[in-house]
This record gives sequence, structure tokens and C-alpha cells, in this order.
Amino acid sequence: MAKDRSQPNEYTGPLRRLITAVLVVVLGAVFLLWRIDSPRVERFRAQVTDAVVPNLDWAMAPVTGAVNLLRDFQSYQRLSEQNQELRSELRRMQTWKEAALQLEQENARLLDLNNVRLDPRLTYVTGVVLADSGSPFRQSVLLNVGARDGVVEGWATMDGIGLVGRISGVGENTARVILLTDSSSRIPAVIQPSGQRAMISGDNSAAPPLDFLENPELVRPGDRVISSGDGGVFPAGLLIGQIAADPGGRLRVRLAADFERLEFLRVLRHHGTDTVINAPTIVSDAVPVAEERPVDVPAVTE
Amino acid sequence: MDELSPLRLFIMRSAFVALALLILFFHLLPIDTQPVTLFAPELLPPLEQIDPAEARLRALLDQGTNRHLVGPDLLIAFAFAWSLRRPEYVPTLLLAVVFLMSDLMLQRPPGLWALLALLACENLKGRSRILRDSTFGAEWVAVAILLTGILLANRIVLFIMLVPAPQLRLGLLELGITVLIYPAVVFITRSVMGIRRAAPGELDALGGRA
Repeated sequence: MAKDRSQPNEYTGPLRRLITAVLVVVLGAVFLLWRIDSPRVERFRAQVTDAVVPNLDWAMAPVTGAVNLLRDFQSYQRLSEQNQELRSELRRMQTWKEAALQLEQENARLLDLNNVRLDPRLTYVTGVVLADSGSPFRQSVLLNVGARDGVVEGWATMDGIGLVGRISGVGENTARVILLTDSSSRIPAVIQPSGQRAMISGDNSAAPPLDFLENPELVRPGDRVISSGDGGVFPAGLLIGQIAADPGGRLRVRLAADFERLEFLRVLRHHGTDTVINAPTIVSDAVPVAEERPVDVPAVTE
Repeated sequence: MDELSPLRLFIMRSAFVALALLILFFHLLPIDTQPVTLFAPELLPPLEQIDPAEARLRALLDQGTNRHLVGPDLLIAFAFAWSLRRPEYVPTLLLAVVFLMSDLMLQRPPGLWALLALLACENLKGRSRILRDSTFGAEWVAVAILLTGILLANRIVLFIMLVPAPQLRLGLLELGITVLIYPAVVFITRSVMGIRRAAPGELDALGGRA
């Protein structure tokens, strides 16, 4: 044993030190490269994820299903009680449904009267959530749609109700969605009905705070927050959530989307907001431009 | 002599890679899509006051699966436990590749965490002979100190490089849970995987080959 300690073997010898030193230099270089040329390395990361994760899908889907099944068992306990409540609620909802249908017809008539054209190019592609970020420090999910399906970086992503996040990092078969709750997420928003503009900056908590709000006095808890489309990469008018305040008095957004279970997400195709061109066509000839499109119509997502 | 054969060496190295992939796999399962609620501020006024219907809907949709805590960093705990017991099963190159892979898959700045974790593992390998003769308590303390060192060094480098560092509270929480879970990791390593320290007189695995 004494001989063991004094004799350099392969694990303490110079060869091992050399290997360690080389690897340390290589890893440090990778980090520096990422710091200097982040997009390139992030593209490499997207490619690695693209190569690995879809191949794990056959194993991931059943395990995820099993975990969700186990979670569902917890809610079975209050099933019968919930059932009763839901029945009575359903009866009340029937009357609301009638009211909603009438309003929808009236709305359609009014839109028709006013000749409003909704943006026809705002279609969506639906993706299945393959994986999450895997770490509690980052909030993102991986979708099974990618460059193959025409997904482009920056597009908005929604669940059935509200905005979930923005595409950041597209591989051939997968795309990563940075959720609104991630600490690197910044989304321009407008608050209804006051029309105040603000930035929703995620901070890794369930309710991201509002930044750059001009006049907080005009904003009340419960006001709706929708995306503003400022900057042009993001469609306007998508529901984000409601205003709330934390005990410190800071305004936050109670998100509308259900982040507890993200399974299917819609990626909204968006081809940029048209710019208004000030060509003197109206002066030169009296014929109105045929190609004219509404510029800032609130986008309807359905 | 079966213990010392190159075949066994290869099998155990593959086993470590498989273990790392399994841990990554469970990290990546899309079941944790919401932030940890532990430090989340309570929102005012309560939703019931502003929008009772919405509150009702949320109560119905609520599966009671809020994410209260972070999990331990099992990958580094197992890497430490293996490095201390059988350094020959986790060669430096293998560790570097596994850690870099985990950096890439878990959305960390690639390379930095891998670099620090690799240095810590090498440090433990160097100390494995000394720690072999001491109690588990000494090992635990060493591991806790190294984990804290990695956390601090990671934050310092990120700060110097002007990269936004991850939340400190969450990091400390993860550190604490990892340190607490370490004895369990060692227990599994010893009893289930059969990775024990080489007895004092025994040749280590490469001794058979050399």
C-alpha cells in the first residue's frame, strides 16, 4: 500500500495531468466561443438537440404518459364532488352559450358591414411538446415542428387560450420555445383598456413583472394584457394575461396560458407587419390601390 | 480476477454513460414546464375577487402538481461517487464528454459547468486514496465543499463574462438538496451498482492490464 501511494500510476501520473489540461483548455475554449459567437454555438446546440431528442420520443412518450397518469390519480379523489359542481355549472353555462352565439352573429354582421378584413396570413402550425428545458433555471420547451415545417425564429407560440412564448432556436425537426416565464424572455405588450405599453420581462417565476410602464396609475388589477406587436416580429392582439400586483407593489402578469401542462402548442405563422409606404399614388392617379391591406388590425387567432 | 478484465472496465464505463443518459432523459421529460413556486410572490388581489369565473376554471384545471422544489443534480453526485470509488471507471475524457453533453441538453452556457465539474472530479480522484482510509463523513464534507466551490466559481466566471447568472436562491437550494441526497447516491452506487473502493491490497482495474 505504501508502494501504491508513492508510485505514480496512470491516475496521478503526468499523462493524466496532460489529458486533463487539454480537456480543460478545450472546454474553456468552447465556453469562450459561445461567449464570443453565441448564435453559432446555439445553432450547434439546436442541431445536437435535434439529433438526440426526436430519437428518444419512443421512450419519452410512454414515460410522460405514465407520469401524467400518476398525477391524474391525485385528482380522482375529488372526482365525484367535482362532478356534482360541474353539472350545476353546466346548466348555467347553457344560457351563457346562447348569449354568446347571438353576440357572435351580431359581431359577424357588424364586421361584414364595416368591411373589416382579418389578416388571412395568420395561420398556425400545431406542435407537440417533446421535452422541457430540463433545468429549473431555464423555462423553455422543445416542439416537434422545425425548419422542415417552415417554422422561423421569433414566431409567437400559444396554447388554446393565451400566449406561451416565442420560438428561439430552430432545428430541422424541432424548435425551442422560450416561455414567457424564462428570465431571458422580453415581450412588448399593451394593457387594455388604458392602452399603456409595457414590456413583459420574465424572471423565472410564474407571474412575470411588467417593465417600462409609462403611467402605472392608469393600470388596475384585472386589466387585460395583450401583445402589442411592436418591433414587427410578433403579431399584435394575442392574449397574454391579466394584471396583478405582488405584495411589494410591483405589477405582474397573471398568465392566461396553462403552464402546468403544455402538451400541444400553436406556432403562429407571421410574415412581419406591412409598412405603410408613402408613395404619391393617390395624388397621381385617382384609382385607389388594389393591393391595400389593413396595417394594424388586431389579429384574430382562431 | 474477473473484476480486473478490460471487458469489465469497458462494461462499467458504458454503464456510467448509460446512467448519465438516463438522468438526462428524466430531466428532459416534458413534465416540468412551469417555474418553481417556492419563491413565487403571492399575487394581489386574489383572482376570485376580479374574475370569479376564471378562478373557478383554474381551480378545476389545477391538477395539484405545482412544482414546489428543485431536484438534486444527480449527474454530478454520481460522477463524484464514482470518481472517489473507482477512478478507472470514469476516465477524464468520458467525464468531459458527458458533462459537455449535459451542458448542451440542459440549456446551460456550454463548457463552463463541464469544465468546473471535470476539475472537481479530478480533484476527488486525486484524493481518493486519502479519503479511502477515512470515514464517510470526510468524503461528504469534501463533496459539499467542492459543490459549493463549483457554484461560486460558475457565478464568478459568468459575472466576469457579463452573462446573466441563474437565480442564486434556486442554485443554493439545488446545492443543498444535492448535498443532502449524496449519502443515498453513495448507497446506491455501493449496493446496487456494486462500485466499491478497491481494497488496500487489491490491484486496480488497470493493474491487470499493465
